[in-house]
Amino acid sequence: MDHSVRYINTLGKASVHDVLTVAARERSLAIQPRCGVGSHEHMRQLLDDIANRAAPDVLSLTIDSHTRLQRFDSALRCLNTRPESLNGYPLVTHGWRRGRELNEGANAPLEIRHGSPDARILFDVAIASGITSFEGGGISYNLPYSKDVPLDVSLSAWREVDRKCGRLADHGVVVDRELFGTLTAVLVPPSISLAISFVEAVLAAQDGVKCISVAYPQGGNLEQDVAALQAIPILARRYLPADVAVFPVLHEFMGAFPHSRSGAESLILYGAFAARLGGATKLITKTYQEAFGIPDTEANAAGIRLARMATSPLFDFVNYDVERCMDERDWILDEVDELLSPVFSASDLMDAVTGAFAKGTLDIPFSASRHAKSAVVPRRDPNGAIRYLNAGHLGLSEMTRRRNRDLIGSMDGRVASPPLSLFNSLKADISFFVTMLDGPGSVPEAGVEK
Amino acid sequence: MLTPKTSRRTVILGVAASDAHAVANHLIAHELDECGYYVVNLGVCTPIAEFAAAAREHPRAVAILIGSLNGHAHEDLRELAKVKEVGEITCPVIVGGNLSVGSAKSADSVERLYALGVDYVLDDASQIVGLLTQLCEEATGSVRNVS
Repeated sequence: MDHSVRYINTLGKASVHDVLTVAARERSLAIQPRCGVGSHEHMRQLLDDIANRAAPDVLSLTIDSHTRLQRFDSALRCLNTRPESLNGYPLVTHGWRRGRELNEGANAPLEIRHGSPDARILFDVAIASGITSFEGGGISYNLPYSKDVPLDVSLSAWREVDRKCGRLADHGVVVDRELFGTLTAVLVPPSISLAISFVEAVLAAQDGVKCISVAYPQGGNLEQDVAALQAIPILARRYLPADVAVFPVLHEFMGAFPHSRSGAESLILYGAFAARLGGATKLITKTYQEAFGIPDTEANAAGIRLARMATSPLFDFVNYDVERCMDERDWILDEVDELLSPVFSASDLMDAVTGAFAKGTLDIPFSASRHAKSAVVPRRDPNGAIRYLNAGHLGLSEMTRRRNRDLIGSMDGRVASPPLSLFNSLKADISFFVTMLDGPGSVPEAGVEK
Repeated sequence: MLTPKTSRRTVILGVAASDAHAVANHLIAHELDECGYYVVNLGVCTPIAEFAAAAREHPRAVAILIGSLNGHAHEDLRELAKVKEVGEITCPVIVGGNLSVGSAKSADSVERLYALGVDYVLDDASQIVGLLTQLCEEATGSVRNVS
């Protein structure tokens, strides 16, 4: 670790923590794409190209699936035979020397994005590479992806990562830890996203982490999304020590994306406005090729430039319903409190969390894991906001449950006859933006290279 | 529906062995639960052996419902024929989803699934409830027994 710390202190470039601190102070929006390819040369080129075309404030090193699951042999085999088949950069296989090369070659700082229930080895290589921003947590990088990794296993593995961040902080290296509030990415109620992120945040802070990016996924209703972002600093003051820097981050819509370029780009711009109005410090972008797969470089650059447009002073006039937003914010704060009070009042937080998921008092909808009940059923209300149709075993009050059901209301399904089944209603909610924005007049994107 | 759990008809549900698509699986589980079925949801990445084990545990299950969205159904269901042959699974097996790589579904691809022991191949998840109702009726004769 000393070796890495010394190296990092000689790097002479801003870290993600630095970039976020400046952005927050200046009330500007840092913009970051996702990107990752298998070959080292191509990765270097990709980072260069995106930086030249769109100058993002932070760059990503998105890691491939084999590496995420610690199948380093498979990653190596793919790298040697068909590197283009890798869906990300196998950092562990490439090693810290190549990692350093990537980081030194880029002006912007790098963040590692992945999806590993156990990221200890990846973390060590990231730090040795001089990369000090690392996404993930013991819940958010487990339950959405893995069928059968027990929560205490993933939480323990991530505790080790966070403790190392604590020791690095003691040596003056502040690692940014971005928590994956997007979870299953499908109709995630804001209070579930924020509750789980703050569980991970409190655990991280206990382990000595000094910089936490709380990432919230754009749901699609402007007031609800702005409210959720505004709730983040309030929740940070409520739950975290004052010496931990907390930055709100928005993930542009992570669900089913419109196929048409105009539809996709309007959704992208909408997300960027939500980030601006909600006071987000950082935005993770999407591209018009999202419906088709991993974007090419130009589409990625275009997504960054488009998002940045929302920050223009010409759009100072853009506004939102402040009163509705304040209601949404109060509801979110109440719901998060109802979810987290029992857990935070327990003597051992990790035990309380594992127990809560086993009982379903913490839960995420549509989880791949058998360690979440997935008894929660979300629905969009007539304004597109995400509500609880069925809150399962969550510790939400009867008043909260009733408010959510009332907001979903009686409009749904009665327009058509017979009324829609739950399956078809949920499908419609999931396809909300595709239906809205890929209208009959829209042109599907042709000639997309995959 | 307020059918008590003990008298609900059982459906075994899961996603094929190589497939981690969780959302459709949950949507179907929620809907079947709403329709009054007792859903044994084995979740994503479920090999045939686990479907067989569930069938042993729930011998009166109406059907086994296997979703496959990643185009690898034939590979994942390879062992179904053997398992049915030795009587480990006796109830109808229903498969649905995106059954082969490539957007055009061939009749041959469906035939090959029948050859593997699949009893019903569905195009669309909205066909599930109707088929299960039919299977319940067949299982209990002409008078539909609601228990």
